[in-house]
Amino acid sequence: QRLKAAVHYTVGCLCQDVAEDKDVQFSKQTIAAISEITFRQCETFAKDLEMFARHAKRSTVTTEDVKLLARRSSSLLKYITQKSEEIASSNMEQKEKKKKKSNAAKERRTSGEQEAAATESEDSNMA
Amino acid sequence: DSRSTSLQHKSALFSCVTGQKQKHCHENWSLSPEEFEIWDRLYRIKESDGVKEPILPQTRFETLENLEEVPKHKEEAIHELSLSEWRIWQNRPFPTSMVNHSDRCYHFIGIMEMIELMRHEQGDCSYELEIQPHLHLEDVNVQRNKRRLSMTSST
Repeated sequence: QRLKAAVHYTVGCLCQDVAEDKDVQFSKQTIAAISEITFRQCETFAKDLEMFARHAKRSTVTTEDVKLLARRSSSLLKYITQKSEEIASSNMEQKEKKKKKSNAAKERRTSGEQEAAATESEDSNMA
Repeated sequence: DSRSTSLQHKSALFSCVTGQKQKHCHENWSLSPEEFEIWDRLYRIKESDGVKEPILPQTRFETLENLEEVPKHKEEAIHELSLSEWRIWQNRPFPTSMVNHSDRCYHFIGIMEMIELMRHEQGDCSYELEIQPHLHLEDVNVQRNKRRLSMTSST
């Protein structure tokens, strides 16, 4: 339930962005449905990723496994591959200059599941 | 090796229709003249049939640039197979023959049922009410969208 709530919240945020962008509205029921779909899709993803890794005799899921998830659409695959390269290169940079502060890990925002990056933020400016 | 067995299997299937005699023709990947004749006569869609050629919808991504764009068909002559026109039937599992429903399929059915139950809701959403109390703000990325936060916390 707690996970579902986090997914629901994040889906709500993303839908809000889209709503503003496209000038449409989502009903609460639509957002709820998308949340539930996302939640259940994560189960499918998790099982597939596990199988892909095992198929390659690994126990750790890698970006290659994630790319396999996106294989059905070449546009999606291209997008995911680009993101993965961005992450890889920013990881490289981080390793090179360890002293510098890392703000590169922000990129991983694909399914928006349990990214616990909770920083109590200064809310006042935007409101 | 598995390919040859599947070929044998296919030719066995076909021999039900055509008889045993021309088995050597099945060595090719393509249809033999006899098979072609049968296909042409019984299955092939021709203009005189008055039915449109069935095609599957192409994948399209609303939020990404689309690489695979080949809509060369003329709209009139085709019947694009719809995956949504019978959606009100899809909140229960359909019968199966040899292949069971997958987990993914059951998820789909579950979602369709959930949508059916929410269809007549007005305003407040039962899902939201049920799930909201379980939200822990440390699970989500708060900075991203402050406006939404103030909205949900007010409900």
